[in-house]
Amino acid sequence: MEDRVVSVALDEIHKRFDANEVLKGISLSAHHGEVISVLGPSGSGKSTLLRCINLLEVPDSGRLFVSGEEVILKKTRDNRTVPADMKQVERIRSKLAMVFQQFNLWSHLTILQNVIEAPVHVLKVPRQEAIDRAKMYLDKVGIPDKLEAYPAHLSGGQQQRAAIARALAVEPEVILFDEPTSALDPELVGEVLQVMRTLAEEGRTMIVVTHEMGFAQEVSSRVIFLDEGLVMEDGDPQTVFNNPETDRFSTFIKAMV
Amino acid sequence: MDLSIILENLPIYFTGLKNTVILVSISLVLGLLLAVPLAILRNYGNPLVQLPIRAFVYFFRGTPLLVQMFLIYYGFGQFDLIKESLLWPFFREAYFCALFAFTLNTAAYTTEILRGAIKATPHGEIEAAMAAGMSRFLMVRRIILPSAFRRALPAYSNEIIFMLHGSSLASVITIVDITGAARIINSRFYSPYEAFLTAAVFYLAITFLIVFLVKKLEVHWFAHLQPQSTSEQVVESPP
Repeated sequence: MEDRVVSVALDEIHKRFDANEVLKGISLSAHHGEVISVLGPSGSGKSTLLRCINLLEVPDSGRLFVSGEEVILKKTRDNRTVPADMKQVERIRSKLAMVFQQFNLWSHLTILQNVIEAPVHVLKVPRQEAIDRAKMYLDKVGIPDKLEAYPAHLSGGQQQRAAIARALAVEPEVILFDEPTSALDPELVGEVLQVMRTLAEEGRTMIVVTHEMGFAQEVSSRVIFLDEGLVMEDGDPQTVFNNPETDRFSTFIKAMV
Repeated sequence: MDLSIILENLPIYFTGLKNTVILVSISLVLGLLLAVPLAILRNYGNPLVQLPIRAFVYFFRGTPLLVQMFLIYYGFGQFDLIKESLLWPFFREAYFCALFAFTLNTAAYTTEILRGAIKATPHGEIEAAMAAGMSRFLMVRRIILPSAFRRALPAYSNEIIFMLHGSSLASVITIVDITGAARIINSRFYSPYEAFLTAAVFYLAITFLIVFLVKKLEVHWFAHLQPQSTSEQVVESPP
């Protein structure tokens, strides 16, 4: 594993919201091609961890590296931590992509417009090239016929697949998934997981916060279990699921089934 | 009722119509151009920038348009500073004063309409824009404003119509708008009913046109809100 390229690295990341310390020193590195499932009870800091990676939340302390570049943070006078350089943050975000629990498609744009928005306006890809690419990705996620539809006209599963196409369109280093199936009706979960499985098989680097144990066990190459703001388990799915190091994980698994 | 009075004096009404249309459209366009940056700063600017904008909006929403117009047309002439300045040739003219008052008035109302619409942008869509690496400026231009304009349109169409009707106050400071034309006819022939009924018909016609145009814009802009059954999309069962 040591010889592989590190896409994202976190070193002793801390984050608190007022009195509540959500992340209590998380260190972890995601290598190119890894599919990491982040598991944990609600409130364990999974989503916060993911949101720290693309700086939707700014860590209070610790170091964060994205594709070899360290994110420079600074303290304000009232002792909050903020990024020192927003241009750097924008550049780093454009190398990552995020798929949200609530899809968060831009509702006034068609599906095609949603998918080409960041390539055209952030990455400055020529429009026609972006459109061709968007069509390819919408085909890949199985909604090639929805180009002109608006998000509100699609089912939840279709919206989430469109959101995945939007994420793919920027050809990111890493795709961050924040509970991508948690807002879906049970019968729509499968179609989204199927798309994610395809992406994993293509060797894309993914960090997935999820409650889908099946996905974590079968698709991911590595499982991380977070509890009370700390990494409790970290290893390949077989080891973690069959020989967990902590009782907490066993309890968590039992509660899930 | 004597319609011949009206028919013989239609040219006066058309002059009035022209003035009403010019006053209202210029003040609406300038007011909107002012309101967009003001509404953005009102939402995202620092408190020192927000305060004067709040004061501006509060003053123009808190006082009658007629009083604002009087303050500018009659009031400014009282100050030597203005009388001796390069601006005096403008503020001396009733037409300019009306335009000035209307523009600031509609800018204040429109700022408030847009402020609310911007504030109501779904937070998830803003996060998606940030996660995509958009700069603040790009996000405002591509995501927040297009989304906010759509939300603001129904309230803004009201503002357009209020401005049209409010513009009748221009007749008080000697301007021959539609109402001004009616007042001329009335004072000339002592026939208030015919004179003002004709003015009412002109206002109704313009309002009709505004409602029609807004409706067209809504069809175009609100496509994403239309129920699926009325668009060309067909309802599909999940695969």
